[in-house]
Formats: sequence, structure tokens, C-alpha cells
Amino acid sequence: MPARQVVVFLGLSVLLLAVVVELVRRRRLRVEYSWLWIAACLTSMLLIVRYDLLVSLTGLVGAVVPTSTLFFLCTLYLALLSLHYSIRISHLTHQVKDLAQEMAILRAQLPGEAVSQQEAK
Amino acid sequence: MVPTLKASTGRGLGYAVPRMQDADRSSGLLIALPAWNEERNLAAVLDELRGAWPAARLLVVDDASTDGTAALARGLGAEVLSLPFHLGYGAAVQTGIKYALRGGYGVVVTFDADGQHDPADVGGLLAALAGGADLAVGSRALAEGSYRGSLARRWGRRLFGTVARLLTGLELTDPTSGLKALGRRAQVLYALSRFPDRYPDADALVLTQRARLTIVERPARMRPSLNRRSMHDGARGVAYAFNMLFSLVVAATGTERDLRR
Repeated sequence: MPARQVVVFLGLSVLLLAVVVELVRRRRLRVEYSWLWIAACLTSMLLIVRYDLLVSLTGLVGAVVPTSTLFFLCTLYLALLSLHYSIRISHLTHQVKDLAQEMAILRAQLPGEAVSQQEAK
Repeated sequence: MVPTLKASTGRGLGYAVPRMQDADRSSGLLIALPAWNEERNLAAVLDELRGAWPAARLLVVDDASTDGTAALARGLGAEVLSLPFHLGYGAAVQTGIKYALRGGYGVVVTFDADGQHDPADVGGLLAALAGGADLAVGSRALAEGSYRGSLARRWGRRLFGTVARLLTGLELTDPTSGLKALGRRAQVLYALSRFPDRYPDADALVLTQRARLTIVERPARMRPSLNRRSMHDGARGVAYAFNMLFSLVVAATGTERDLRR
């Protein structure tokens, strides 16, 4: 792997890692969602530095070109990430539904609430 | 006997079943009407219900209507729960059931607000519960001369009924009926957070069966409601059918740990 490529892509990986860590530090990204991204950054860094690992992995899975191994891994990773998010969204959907129901029940118990709701219409 | 009764805490349940404080009202009857923009039908439905069941509390679950449904129901003296945003039919019904559990009602009847049900049929359902059933379902197929909907709908119901029977042995003549009476144990089950909340349908009945609650069907006449646009028409109907079939299979085969004994 040419030195220029190593520098560019290593730089990009480090940048992404820095962004992720900073997002966590600013509480914009929760810790439990960050480790997937951190793992992705570290993996790409490892494969850039140790290109021979990618080559042997290519041989292992029976691919011809290392590029396609990399492409396959990326696709797989993104697909799993989407699945992970679908699961999280399903969970959140349940929680939102429960909260909305709870809110409707509690709101009905507030004194004068019927009047204020009618006024709001 | 209901395994779900143990479930006041625990993951996957998501909803803590409250303790019953109001023992006096344990025999009380709550009629819950999920309503979404039912301004045109609601007054007549509430009047009819009040005439037929003067002792029952009427609860309108306003599923974020944009018309005057909530104000109208309140003006007519019904209890009103207003959902902050539209959740859909099943979740609105579930809201009413959760409310009933809080209030300690012995029986909840779910009753569509569009006027398709006949208040007189509630009596048969209540008698079934008094006879020991946990859940009584009003069935169009058992009622002589009842309106049964379009051909596609009848075939749909038959299909769901057949699949449910093949999967669990449960005999259902009208698995999509919205007219139901729930005893306390059925209420607890239907209030579970992850209970099917899209439509209270064949999948819900399959789960009820798997929870070892007794289900009975009673005849219920359905009237073609005047201003009704069905939730299952057109392309939505096709999507609904596929969702339902998949949901049925899930209901019959899913790992419902807390449903087991």
C-alpha cells in the first residue's frame, strides 16, 4: 500500500474516531451507541496499517481482490447497524406508545383539565 | 392461573400492572370506545349505550381527533382520555383497558364508536363472562342476518380464522371483531406493553389462548355504519392482511416467556 494512501486513510479514520469521541464527550451521542463506531474506526485503522491482514482475510473468504473483501465487510457492517437501529426503534415505539397512553390517563385526572382542553380547541 | 399476573415488574413487559385499590368497583362495567374523528356518529352511539346500560361508565378514548370528538363526548358526560398524538385503533383500545385496570373495573367492553355495534349484544358478552369466560367476542358470523362486510373482508376473516385454527387449534368465526368483553385477567393480558397493539385481532386472540384464558364467541349483529371509511380498505387492506398473517405466526410461535405457566 503506497505511503500516500496510508497517510490519507489513516488520517480519515483518526478524524472519524476523534469526531465520535467528541460527540460522546458533548453528550450528543450516547456511550452505548458509540462503541460500534469506535470499533469500525479501529478496524479500518488496523487494516490500513496491517494491509497483509486484509490480504490473508481475502484468501480466507475466497475472494479475489482485497477491495471486494473490504466492500463486503462494509456492506455487512452497515446492514447489521441498520438492524440494530430497527431493534432500537421498535423498543422506542413501545415506550412512546406507553408514555402517550400514560399521559392521556394522567391528564384526565387533573382538575380543570377538561375545561382547558376544550378551550385549546 | 394467568402467568402474566405475576408480571408487575420485569423486562419485556414494560407495563407495571397496578394494584387494585377500588375493590367496590370490581363488578363495575366500563364501556371503552376508541374514537378517531367520530364526531358524526358518536352522539348517537353514546345515547344508545347510555339507554341500554345506564349503570356503565362510558369512556371515549380520543385518538388525537382533529374534529370535535373529545369536546362532544365530554359534553355528553362520557369520560374522555385524549391521546397526545394518533396511536391507532389497537393502542387506543389498550389505553381504555389500562384505564379500566387503574379504576379496578371488573369488566371492560370495547365498543367501536362508529355505530356498527348494537348495545343489545353487550348483554350476551357479559353473560358469557359471568359464566366463567375471560374474554367474550361478538361474532358477526354467529348472528343471523348480520351485515358481514364485503366479499374481500369475509374471505380475509375466514383466512385469519383458518390460520389461527391451524396454528393453535383455536376456533374463531370472527377474529377481527372489535366488540369484546374482557374480564380482569384478559385486561391484564391486553394491557401488556408488547401485546399486539395495531389491531385487536386474530393474533391477540391467539395470544389470549396461549395464556390459557378462556375465549367464547357470542352472536353480535353488525350494522353497516353510515359514515364509515374502514381502516382496512384498498391497498392498506393488502398490507394489513400481510401484517396480520405474519403477526399471527409470531403470536402462535413467539417466545412469550411471561405467557407460560
